[in-house]
Amino acid sequence: MIGSTNSRIVVTLARHEYRAAARNRVLAALVLVLVAITTVSVLIGAIDYHSQVADYQRYVAAARSSGVTQTAPLPLQVLSLLRGAFEYLEIIGAIIAIVLGYMSIARERTSNTLMLLQTRPITSMQRALGSALGALAIIATLLLVTGAIAVLCLGVIGGDWLAPPELLKLTLALLATIPYMGAFYCLGVVLTAHARSLSNGLMAALVIWLAVVLIIPQVGDTMDPDNQVPGGLFQSLGVDKPTELKVLAKFTTYEKVRNDLEEASLAKHYERFTFGMTDVKDKYRGFTLTHLLHEKRNDIAWLAAYMLVLGAALHRSYQRQPALPRGGTP
Amino acid sequence: MVWNIARQQLLTLRRSGTFIAILATMLLMTALAGFIGWMSHHTIIKVYDETVRLLTAQGKPIPANPFDSKPELALLSNLAIYVPLIGAILATIVGHIAMMEDRASGAARLLFSRPISRSRYVIGKFLGTTIALAGVLAASAVLSTLSLVIVNRNVPAAGEVGRLAVFFGISLVYMLVFALVGMAFAITSRNRSFAIVAALGVWLVLTFVVPQVTSGLRPTTSLNPITDPVSTSQSFFQVTAHARPISVSEQYKRVSASVLQTEPAESPSRSALRVVPILALALLLALGVGGLVARHDYSRGLQ
Repeated sequence: MIGSTNSRIVVTLARHEYRAAARNRVLAALVLVLVAITTVSVLIGAIDYHSQVADYQRYVAAARSSGVTQTAPLPLQVLSLLRGAFEYLEIIGAIIAIVLGYMSIARERTSNTLMLLQTRPITSMQRALGSALGALAIIATLLLVTGAIAVLCLGVIGGDWLAPPELLKLTLALLATIPYMGAFYCLGVVLTAHARSLSNGLMAALVIWLAVVLIIPQVGDTMDPDNQVPGGLFQSLGVDKPTELKVLAKFTTYEKVRNDLEEASLAKHYERFTFGMTDVKDKYRGFTLTHLLHEKRNDIAWLAAYMLVLGAALHRSYQRQPALPRGGTP
Repeated sequence: MVWNIARQQLLTLRRSGTFIAILATMLLMTALAGFIGWMSHHTIIKVYDETVRLLTAQGKPIPANPFDSKPELALLSNLAIYVPLIGAILATIVGHIAMMEDRASGAARLLFSRPISRSRYVIGKFLGTTIALAGVLAASAVLSTLSLVIVNRNVPAAGEVGRLAVFFGISLVYMLVFALVGMAFAITSRNRSFAIVAALGVWLVLTFVVPQVTSGLRPTTSLNPITDPVSTSQSFFQVTAHARPISVSEQYKRVSASVLQTEPAESPSRSALRVVPILALALLLALGVGGLVARHDYSRGLQ
């Protein structure tokens, strides 16, 4: 009985959170921007794919007409066309999640619902769970729309409909986006709840977003020797893969520092997981799903850890929210 | 009066925690840019030496060192990324604060109850913003020069100092574009947070979306100072590439790379042409902001 009342309260709060967020114009504008640019990104990739597949088919036809029976396989992976879409989810998805978190607190403060809620027998855990579930449902809806558009673009424009194993990998990549965006949602809530002025909380969260999503990965990326020369250092030196690996074996400390720096960023773990799932990285192509998930266990663990730590911070913020609102400067 | 408005704006910025936090990030990254450049360069030279050793042992031909002709300013190549990344966001916040604080505190309502012209007010705001951003870039320039002295162990030549000055001058114009975007949304929006998010949306579009459409640069590729040449053989890019001259972030990065000599040099007139769209956009936005301030009803409150 107590359990059902408990879950009923959480679901009611989650529904309220979902409806309020869905009605918000700022959020709607951001979601539209994300969906629009993700579509553009997939469209560009799909057009490119379509023309490359046509080139490949011409090559196969020419080879067969001249009596060649064995031809090279198509060097393209349809899922890798979604790289741009996942990069946008990494950058803009995180901003949307921060704004969701900010809105959650701003709404309570400016409409004075906080005081009303505190007169009812609702615990801080129920409020935290309710608002987090509502936000995660919004995120899931957004990902569902983005995923559907991506699959349609690949099929209709790229001319290649995803097979069930590819659909499963895409679903897993989209599922990983939920804890990623969820962590940023928690960050938005925590910083806005602690800020005296709401917009200061939002700006503080955006400063952290800047560091975690853009600066740290950028520093790690520019420290990569292969990124210092257009086309790649080893390619410009005309070095084959075995020689490249032999050379890099001498620079393990440097590579470890670079890798540790990237590991500090939640965004990089998300990127590594989704790029692995969408065949962006050559080295994972041909892996079975179990093998791939095993290879990516470190990134899965980091995503879960960030989500849990920030989730705990979110609960603490709800626990420590003052009974009387602190002004609620917009 | 113009000077008083500019001074008051600088005072407001000094008190803003967010401005200080982004400023500190910008200066830290400027200081780190030289160090990161040196570390990467140093490692690559060692990678090259090791490759040469292995290839010699295998009896293969030795390729030329791709870093033989790298100029000293190339160590600062990351700066051309930090300005569009951190500098532009900092400028957006500066522009936002410039217009929004007066509205939120009611100072603008009080101010315009006095015989003060809107044009003087907006000129004061432009002046305050330009001084603030120029101050940020001047501090970055000092830090960059210091890192060059420490890393290269010699004082930069007059020509290199000149190039740095040109780079920071162009960066100022580029940052002013985003400050003006921040201002425009701060005047037109009734909601403070919407104003920040909308200005950030414009930054995202100009920094990531437009370069992808015009040049096929993916968002994370845009974060690397060295980018692979993008194929423009596709019919899609053959059409969209026509818009590349007005893609301000690409033009900024290209002209910065040319000034800092991180990419093959181009003629000064060609470099100057790349600055034109940035300047034109800044001028258009300045006129737009001037018009918005002139027409704005400051008796209206915020939501």
